[in-house]
Amino acid sequence: MGSLTRAHLVETAAWLAIFVIFFAFSFEFNQPIEIYKFGATGWPRMVLVMLLLATIGNLVYLKNHGSAVQKGRVGIADDEESDADYSDLRTLGKVLGVLATPLIFAMLLKPVGFYFATPFFIAAVILLFGERRVKWVLGITVIIYFILLGLFMVVLNAPLPQGNMSPFYDYSALILTLNNDLQQMW
Amino acid sequence: MLENFLAGSFALFSDPFTIGIFVFGVLGGMLFGAIPGVSMLTLAAILLPFTASLTPAQGVMLFAVIYCTGTYGGAITAILFNIPGAPENAPTAFDGYPMTKQGKSGKAVGAAVLCSAIGGVASALVMMAATEPLANWAIRNIGPPEIFALVFFGLAVASSVGGRSIWKGWMSVLLGLIIATIGQDPVGGINRYNFGFTDLAAGIAFVPAILGFFAVSEIFVQAEKKATGKFDAPEVGMSFPSVIELWAHKIAVVRSILVGFFCGILPGIGATLAAFMGYGEAVRWSRNKEEFGKGKLEGVISSETANNAATGAAMIPLLALGLPGGALTAMMVAVFQMHDLEPGPLVFYNSPDLIWVVFAAMFYANLSILVIGLLETKTILYLLKVPFQFLAPMILLLASIGSYIGRGLVLDVIVMFGAGILGFLLRRSGYSIPGIVLGIILGKIGEQNFAQGMQMVHYDLFTYFSRPICALLIAAGAMTLLAGIYKAVASSRNGAGN
Repeated sequence: MGSLTRAHLVETAAWLAIFVIFFAFSFEFNQPIEIYKFGATGWPRMVLVMLLLATIGNLVYLKNHGSAVQKGRVGIADDEESDADYSDLRTLGKVLGVLATPLIFAMLLKPVGFYFATPFFIAAVILLFGERRVKWVLGITVIIYFILLGLFMVVLNAPLPQGNMSPFYDYSALILTLNNDLQQMW
Repeated sequence: MLENFLAGSFALFSDPFTIGIFVFGVLGGMLFGAIPGVSMLTLAAILLPFTASLTPAQGVMLFAVIYCTGTYGGAITAILFNIPGAPENAPTAFDGYPMTKQGKSGKAVGAAVLCSAIGGVASALVMMAATEPLANWAIRNIGPPEIFALVFFGLAVASSVGGRSIWKGWMSVLLGLIIATIGQDPVGGINRYNFGFTDLAAGIAFVPAILGFFAVSEIFVQAEKKATGKFDAPEVGMSFPSVIELWAHKIAVVRSILVGFFCGILPGIGATLAAFMGYGEAVRWSRNKEEFGKGKLEGVISSETANNAATGAAMIPLLALGLPGGALTAMMVAVFQMHDLEPGPLVFYNSPDLIWVVFAAMFYANLSILVIGLLETKTILYLLKVPFQFLAPMILLLASIGSYIGRGLVLDVIVMFGAGILGFLLRRSGYSIPGIVLGIILGKIGEQNFAQGMQMVHYDLFTYFSRPICALLIAAGAMTLLAGIYKAVASSRNGAGN
């Protein structure tokens, strides 16, 4: 197996899965286009075949060199390779927390709305980044929240998600009414 | 030309409200470009409805000014945080961020200020002098086969930088091309890869994808370093590059202006490819190729000169042919249409005042980068002193807002964070994020022009090679590709990864 590790095999399997899934789904839109011989599938399938060839090339390279940088490559930062020890469950938990929190926030935007979810998200990210002083967490949360409201709601009138569930929607409505009153005072 | 330029300058500076809009555009473009997480596109998307209440000249001028200063502003976040403000600043981060880590952020930002101004001013001057003849040349010589050939060359260049091997470079670019196929196909309008989500029928919007791959993935990388106790706060370096240092790169500047202008003039290509090609050419001509990516000033200079040189040139296909070269110039078309105008050859005859106000504003906006940029730099550098745990939520929220505002879809915010996770995993495995992003941006353009080109030449691929510009670009792309594969194979034989 040369320099191939389990991570390399997982990586290659993921690319092959992308190839298989996208190639299989291309049959869903395999319709002819009257004015274009190659149809809607021609381009994506050509790209997928090139991806398959590159994946095979990559596998051969990984077998010969492992994760080493190819000689003469440019534009690679020194810290691009992770040397984190994920066998430590605390480290794994922290990183998974940071990866999951924004995704949960994004999924909550539709039912809960931006105005209600944001302060909790700010505090969560500050905590996940290791800040433990409660006064700082609360203070910075309030500052960031009001800077964003000031810039995007008051100054730029940008439409942000309001949520569609009570009582979160009512909270968004209250904030927007306050903004309206503020605008009329000017 | 001088007479028209003076008339445009007078129209610009004789009305206090127009001056106010100009100053707002200059400061807004720089600020939104320089705040990590949002970009000039966020500002432009927010301002688009308001331009209905401005005159056509004021509206188009505002967007043109934001385009110039925002393209520069994005370099600041690329250099300081490894978060390019726009895709055209991605190559700037290759050397700019390593310079920040070495405590040379002042030098990198100073060079970006100066070179953005030089590239932008040179481009504005050529634009004023030669919009009509250049547009006529482009109409006669540039068709879908040439644009496809340039896309191919650009992707070949992008695959040669950033990934840990040529294979990873190409896999990154190809992943971007696959992502770009999501949504309707550009010829028949058939839905592809929407996986049952109706919102995906419109495709993956590139602003959320860019923010996810660049900004969010960088936050995750820093979070991982925090979790493992390997986080190093970057040093603040206030020393600017000396005149001698900058003069030593005069050839790189001239080369990047030419590359940037050529890319900018081609419809649909814009500043992003210009920056990659400018960087790629700097590497190709350098005697010390191995120093690129490790904090070489020439990398910042080449990329920033080229992308700003493309801004003026991108106005040529927009104004003369009505073809936008990127997202922001596409929004300018919307401004024209809001005022019942169509950009195209007739605009020079029907609205010459508008054209020269815009030209003059772009010239002064590029000059103001030099003045305001240098003043702003010293303030912006202090952003590095803000503890990252307080900066991170701000960046994530600004990116969320920037993603949401474009189409008003929560799905775009989810896509952005998904792209962030994917980008984090791919970066940790040595893939090229700028390569993916360039693939996403150029994918639709490449496919559309390939299809049109094939229809034009009746599916005879060899006809492509009878067109000199097309043949030259395809040959250059193929050579770049083969050279990369040859190096990979040679290093396999020698057992020489370094």
